[in-house]
Amino acid sequence: MSTLLEVDRINSYYGDSHILFDISLHVAKNEVVALLGRNGAGKSTTLKTLMGLVRPSSGKIVLDGMPTQSMRPHAIAALGLQLVPEERRIFGSLSVEENIVLAGLSAKGRWPLERIWETFPRLRERRRSRGTDLSGGEQQMLAIARALVRAPKILLLDEPFEGLAPIIVRDLLATCRTLAEAGQTIVLVEQNITAAMTLADRVYILNNGHIVDAFTAQALRERPETLHGHLGV
Amino acid sequence: MFKQRFYTITVLTAVGLIAAPFVLPYLGFSPTTINRILVWGLFGVGFDILFGFTGLLSFGQSAFYGTGGFVAAYLLTRLNFPSVIGALTIGAIAATIVGFFVGLIALRRTGIYFAMITVAIAEVFYFVEFNPLSDYTGGENGLPGVPTPSLNLGFTTIQFDTDWSMYAFMAFWYFLGIVIGLRIVRSPVGAILSAIRDNPLRAAAVGHNIHAYKLTAFVIAAAYAGFAGGLLGVLQAFMPPDAFTFETSGQLVMQTAIGGAGTLFGPLLGAAVWLYLSDFFQTTLHLGATWKLVLGIVFVLLVCFLRRGVIGGLGDLVALCTRRRHAEPREATPAPEVKPLASLGRSRRHDEKPFTGPALQARGLTKKFGGLVANRDIDFAVSQGELRGIIGPNGAGKSTFFKMLTCEMRPTAGRILFHGRDITGMDVARVCQLGLTKSYQVNQLFTRQTLRENIVIAALAERRGSFSLDLLRRIDRVPGLDMQVEATLAMVGLASRADVPVAELAYGEKRRLEIGLALASSPSLLLLDEPLAGMSPRERRETVQLLKNLRRGRTLVIVEHDMDAVFELAERITVLHEGALLAEGTPAEIQRNRLVQEAYLGGVAAA
Amino acid sequence: MINWPTFVSQLFNGLVLGALLALISSGLTIIYGTLGVLNLAHGAMFMLGGYAGWLAYTQTNSFIIAVLAGSIFVMLVGVVMERLIIRHFYSRPHEDQLLVTFGLGIVFVEAVRFFFGSLSKTVSAPAGLVGITPLGFMFYPTYRLALLGIVVVALIALYLVLYRTRIGMVVRAGIEDSAMVDALGIDVYKIFMLVFGIGAMAAGFAGIVNAPVVSIAPDVGESILVQTFVVVVIGGVGSFPGAVLGGLIAGEIISITSMFNPGYSYVMLFVAMTLVLVLRPYGLLGTAARE
Repeated sequence: MSTLLEVDRINSYYGDSHILFDISLHVAKNEVVALLGRNGAGKSTTLKTLMGLVRPSSGKIVLDGMPTQSMRPHAIAALGLQLVPEERRIFGSLSVEENIVLAGLSAKGRWPLERIWETFPRLRERRRSRGTDLSGGEQQMLAIARALVRAPKILLLDEPFEGLAPIIVRDLLATCRTLAEAGQTIVLVEQNITAAMTLADRVYILNNGHIVDAFTAQALRERPETLHGHLGV
Repeated sequence: MFKQRFYTITVLTAVGLIAAPFVLPYLGFSPTTINRILVWGLFGVGFDILFGFTGLLSFGQSAFYGTGGFVAAYLLTRLNFPSVIGALTIGAIAATIVGFFVGLIALRRTGIYFAMITVAIAEVFYFVEFNPLSDYTGGENGLPGVPTPSLNLGFTTIQFDTDWSMYAFMAFWYFLGIVIGLRIVRSPVGAILSAIRDNPLRAAAVGHNIHAYKLTAFVIAAAYAGFAGGLLGVLQAFMPPDAFTFETSGQLVMQTAIGGAGTLFGPLLGAAVWLYLSDFFQTTLHLGATWKLVLGIVFVLLVCFLRRGVIGGLGDLVALCTRRRHAEPREATPAPEVKPLASLGRSRRHDEKPFTGPALQARGLTKKFGGLVANRDIDFAVSQGELRGIIGPNGAGKSTFFKMLTCEMRPTAGRILFHGRDITGMDVARVCQLGLTKSYQVNQLFTRQTLRENIVIAALAERRGSFSLDLLRRIDRVPGLDMQVEATLAMVGLASRADVPVAELAYGEKRRLEIGLALASSPSLLLLDEPLAGMSPRERRETVQLLKNLRRGRTLVIVEHDMDAVFELAERITVLHEGALLAEGTPAEIQRNRLVQEAYLGGVAAA
Repeated sequence: MINWPTFVSQLFNGLVLGALLALISSGLTIIYGTLGVLNLAHGAMFMLGGYAGWLAYTQTNSFIIAVLAGSIFVMLVGVVMERLIIRHFYSRPHEDQLLVTFGLGIVFVEAVRFFFGSLSKTVSAPAGLVGITPLGFMFYPTYRLALLGIVVVALIALYLVLYRTRIGMVVRAGIEDSAMVDALGIDVYKIFMLVFGIGAMAAGFAGIVNAPVVSIAPDVGESILVQTFVVVVIGGVGSFPGAVLGGLIAGEIISITSMFNPGYSYVMLFVAMTLVLVLRPYGLLGTAARE
């Protein structure tokens, strides 16, 4: 399998609070990699650093052969990385359709709008609604749709299932599984272990800003108690 | 910058003012120019206190300059008021009163809104002066015939009617003004104003009524402006209407920035540069009105590259040549074994008979954001002297809950009781004065000051209450302040680093200072928001030890994600999940609790 | 009693002034909403539009070319200003941004004074629009009527660009969350440059089309700046509808009160501004997004 993303010992700060300590990981094409850890562990900061929203103070990030650690987010997006942020950050004053169209404006390869509606039929019904009028689940769908319309090489999902009703989580999970099976490379940050484990091929565990362990999903399914030590209470 | 050496500066100023008539004419300054520089300089002392020290950029000072000037001129020319000095004083008082009411309106907003409002105010005053009140102000002609001042000494009367006697008159008032200004910035009020400029959020959180202090700065600026305006009328024997123009306000701002804001002398230097250049361009180079274009370009370049004006630039140059390079922030010196100090001299809060109920209690605490329920009906109680931990997976609503406990956010429903007293909806400064303080997850420090100065700002609120107008008191004469500061420094193990600027501290030291700021208010209840955030393993161990030491005589509530630390420290733990209370108990009970395990491991959510 | 023809005439004047202020303030408010910078040189841009237009007019005698020249010149000034100077101030404190735009405003005014002197210049209205038009019971200057039409068209154009084009959509998204726009692959610095240019152009366009009504002089921008600020405070910072509403309110206040006493118009404006500040601190149509 070819490595699409190579992260080598990045350190990130928030102000002068040291959040990420020498984080190294890699993601191969068509893989789903999960970053697990308690909150405060640095998972979101990792994704933001990959997307260029936080500039690492040291280390290297190589995306499809290009070093991106000094690039601004729009350049990283042009190279095929897309982030669905934890806060979703959809444009509330724009309609659903405008949100999606905007995302696709500068994309080199683009999903046709029809494919988006097929993946998220609920959004087709709400295509003219303003972002602020959507429910939590619909906003999450829109945030993911917005990222997908750019046909990203790697999709970064930051806690996509947080704060959603169980039935919505189930639907969203099914959608993500379909995407993964279709070959979409995904890096997933989640606190919902069960959901993460249904999608992930490999797992990294973060604690206090360090990568403390890495497993294949297979290994974890055989010995589930490994996780409890790291993530439980 | 010039915190110490008050007397040195005062003496040097006096010497400079005495020497000026002998030196400056050789440099090309006429007496009239020098006098005008002094008027601008005095105008600027007040403005610098407002802008340079408090950080409030006002483009509307001409309103008070004109008010003071025209009231004084009107008294002298139309009402034949006998004393010039008396008229000047009344003018200044009028400007002060106007400044108070204008400040009440303008200070409702900050930053950009404030600047816009002050621009509008300047224009309104100009138009009112020009038109509706033109009977009193002479409209576009101004008020001519302002008499020269005189001083009746009983046996003789001094008339200030020559160029150099007028200079003596002006120089005297400038000297008085600058000395008062120097006293103000060295007073507790001055320190608080600088804190407001640096970090207004924290200045309020440590117990200061920042709105009242901002209004104070605004009124001081108006007072100086009013007196200077009166002096302008006396100087020119005529009160010009253009004292009220927006251009006047703009000139003041530019001169202060050119000379150097935050130095008190900046406006004087800036005025000297401005007036000298304008004379030079017009009389020597015969370039007429071009000087203003040149000055404008110089000003823009200065704002881009020489941020702190001429004085600031010179100061940097001196620092570069005389001192070593600033020390790099290094690994924090390990916190020495801290002997717990039981009391830090809590003064005002413990006269009531002792309360035996919970230190902090929440009843039915709920927070909704539109349709989203962040916290639902939480009941919570912490006993006095307890160390409580609050944990919960992401989205549990911990930060919202915490913000309500610290009174940074109003609950939608429910009440909060502190030592039995309802504090729901109180503001952070008031709550701090009652004995409840917080340390922040992201450092909220006064970054332009030293470590000690940071603690002093917090301790000042503890010693003096939320507002005190001790403008002329020396800051080191506040009773009990030094003891409070030293005790706090010792508590957090930072006494040896006290005089280091915050920018040079290591991260772990800054986190300890963060806790120190909350401690300096002598709280009986301390709320800590992720005190271990961003720390290395060694720093975590040290901070856990510090928190253990802080327990004596205090109640602590900590939100944290570092499980090892929470379980080591807390007597009891509260677990929040999806906005509601999930479980509460001792660490052992929580670890055994299946619901808690599921919440963290995602079982509950993914059903 | 009120002189009705005068009153209606002033109402119209208020409408014209209000529309003009609405256009200028829209420029200021979208710059602030998108970039977070309050452009204290905005009044100077109004002035520059007038001068650039006048210069073109003296060369070509065509009013249309004058309007084009004024608008495009000021747009370029805005773009260059953002690219060379303002861009470096995004991470600096607000006060520094205020100081630098204020300084630039002074430089523009003094540069114009240097090249063209302080005396005002006249720009004549286009031939077909001079004179007065009968409007029922009163007569109204023809050009002012036309001006109302022109400015309303410009406002509609601005509205259409903002709400019906893709680039307008990007700008509106940028006002909400510029970092996210960048993360979606659009270089947000280019957007900033464009917004500054458009915002400046609004002021410059207003400057030249208004020139036949009030002659141009280096200091015309100053009172415009103040009025713009009042409009923005009343309407709400960062809100295009707020700028339109605030503009109309301000325009009518100035016009109606100047019927009774010109000096009081500013006082009334100030009173209105104070009322809004007390009752609705974020403006009539603003949100608590930025400070």
